Amino acid sequence: MSVIHPTDDAVPSASDPNELPEEQPVAPAAAKVRMRKRGQITKWLAIIWLAALTFTAIGASWLPYVKHSCSQYANASECSTHVKSSPLTLEKPPVWATFSKSALPSFPGAKDRVGWFGTDSNGFDIFSRSMFGARNSLLIGSLSIVFGLLIGGLFGLLAGYKGGRTDSIIDTIMNVMLAFPALLLAIFIVGFFTNSSADAANSRPIWPVIFALVILSIPPLTRLVRANTMMYAQREFVTAARSLGAGGPRIVFREILPNVVPAMLTFALTGMAILIVAEGALAYLGLSVSAPTPTWGSMIFGGQKKLETAWWISMMPAITMFLTVLSINLLGDVLAERFRVREAIG
Amino acid sequence: MRYVGRKLIQLVIVLIAVTFTVSVALNAIPNAKERVIAARGMGATNEAEKQALLDSLHLNDSIPVQYMNFLKDFATGNWGVTLNGNEPISSAIWGGLQISLRLMIYAQFVALLLAIPTALLAAYRQGGAFDRFTTTTSFGFLATPNYILAPVFILLFSIRFRWFPTLSKNTGFFGDPVQHFKDYFLPTLCIALPLGATYLRLLRSDLIGTLQSDFITTARAKGMSTSRILFVHALRPSLFSLVTAAAVNVGALVGGSLVVETAFSLNGLGRKTVVGIFSAEFRLVQITVVVLASIYVIVNFLVDISYAWIDPRVRHARTLS
Repeated sequence: MSVIHPTDDAVPSASDPNELPEEQPVAPAAAKVRMRKRGQITKWLAIIWLAALTFTAIGASWLPYVKHSCSQYANASECSTHVKSSPLTLEKPPVWATFSKSALPSFPGAKDRVGWFGTDSNGFDIFSRSMFGARNSLLIGSLSIVFGLLIGGLFGLLAGYKGGRTDSIIDTIMNVMLAFPALLLAIFIVGFFTNSSADAANSRPIWPVIFALVILSIPPLTRLVRANTMMYAQREFVTAARSLGAGGPRIVFREILPNVVPAMLTFALTGMAILIVAEGALAYLGLSVSAPTPTWGSMIFGGQKKLETAWWISMMPAITMFLTVLSINLLGDVLAERFRVREAIG
Repeated sequence: MRYVGRKLIQLVIVLIAVTFTVSVALNAIPNAKERVIAARGMGATNEAEKQALLDSLHLNDSIPVQYMNFLKDFATGNWGVTLNGNEPISSAIWGGLQISLRLMIYAQFVALLLAIPTALLAAYRQGGAFDRFTTTTSFGFLATPNYILAPVFILLFSIRFRWFPTLSKNTGFFGDPVQHFKDYFLPTLCIALPLGATYLRLLRSDLIGTLQSDFITTARAKGMSTSRILFVHALRPSLFSLVTAAAVNVGALVGGSLVVETAFSLNGLGRKTVVGIFSAEFRLVQITVVVLASIYVIVNFLVDISYAWIDPRVRHARTLS
């Protein structure tokens, strides 16, 4: 099972002789090589996309191809989230979209098409805003999954190793958390535990969003780690360590944890993609980090009203987000494949 | 029976914890009292009215009393009225639930209708062109959240071709079936496509496993037709995880379709909750969340029970442990 292909499932080999359609041997050697090659290319495309996106997101404030100007803002923190605005760039399509035209009357001296992704109704450059949005999404996604792994991992190790009453208490807590509809729970947390409607001038900070997403990610991560821990807790090396007099914490962290980490890492990428999508949903509903910070979700929502005349306002951040989530999923699959191969060999 | 009993106890514990969390959550909200009074607007001008309003939400009591009162109100159906507009909360929730239930049923139906034949064809010629095409497509749909699908579909089908309305108006099915179909088509599709993609992947890998078992070889050796093998012999034993996933999604989708409801401005339960959070309708939100969580938990309970009923191994394995 060495075919590394994004769409390859955890199923028996394609060349299994017992397979149903015998008339035509599926996936002969040449096709397999071709599939592997295509998998390699998509893998590298995904890595390149994510690397470029991360680089631009981190450097958005100073990279020359990300446009922003601070002149019209009172303080610097506002400045970093906005990009150049002027009546000359209101709702202009991207430079490559020769088939589209702005519906707004043109100012004298204004160009027909502006920027890689066009400009929005405020005259902001959508590419730059998408990159500031990427900063937001990637930061929230990665921080939430890290905290989720830490907390969920701890619960999972505890439940899986101790078993018995500890296990059932933790299981009940997780059942309660899962009983709330996922997105509704996140909204409940973000919407209730911030003071936004009482004080509209206050920009909603990043932490309630992260907190909500961490809460969402804890139950599945706990279950994953618990299942893996239980598998290793019965193994001979754990018994050996215990008979040598090792204590509980030592066994859990030195013997079991290193074996569980691959599964956690594999799931971390997929989990991050799920959390980025969830953050986008919150932002789409107006419940993520609030304006003026651009988020993909709020950009898509804002542009939806303008779809008729200016499709690029919501489509360009949507495409950016789609490619990002797709790439992360792809790499998650590749990683899962790697670890499974190693497990099968070792 | 012991298995059922244990699951039932678990169900009760979860329901108690959910209602407690929801009823106590109000205390953790900054400025809850002020926000409630502000939301009531002109209705609560003098001090006595304000206190009566807070009393009706049990905001002046201690936490255990709050919880008991909330439970009592919930159980007796004394759900109160919305702060803004004086609509009975029960009718607000029922109105939203109807829309969300419709969306859920349509989406499940379309998703299964797409996934089952596709999975059969794909698994039949595993690794073939159709299989590769559908697996890649479903992978793409898994990466497409429905708030991305919504603008894409609106752009294509509402603006480019003008087949469907941009905003759905929730026309009743019996009032105007054609308009009803048009209103619900795009929202349904936005939920059904990613959902169908998950179902397709589940069923496909299960089918591939089944198609390699001995009884399929026997059936083929007997000269049975391919369609009969696929639909009668292979499909049924492979449906287990698909049925589980579909059942769990019944509960998850009722409250989970809020993004699509917002995108097409359908006044479903999820959207009402979001609006409620923004406008400090805490009572409405509390009761909606309890209703949704109960639906979810009860459906999951029924799924667990039916496992034990379908497969005796589950019953015994879990009672022993």
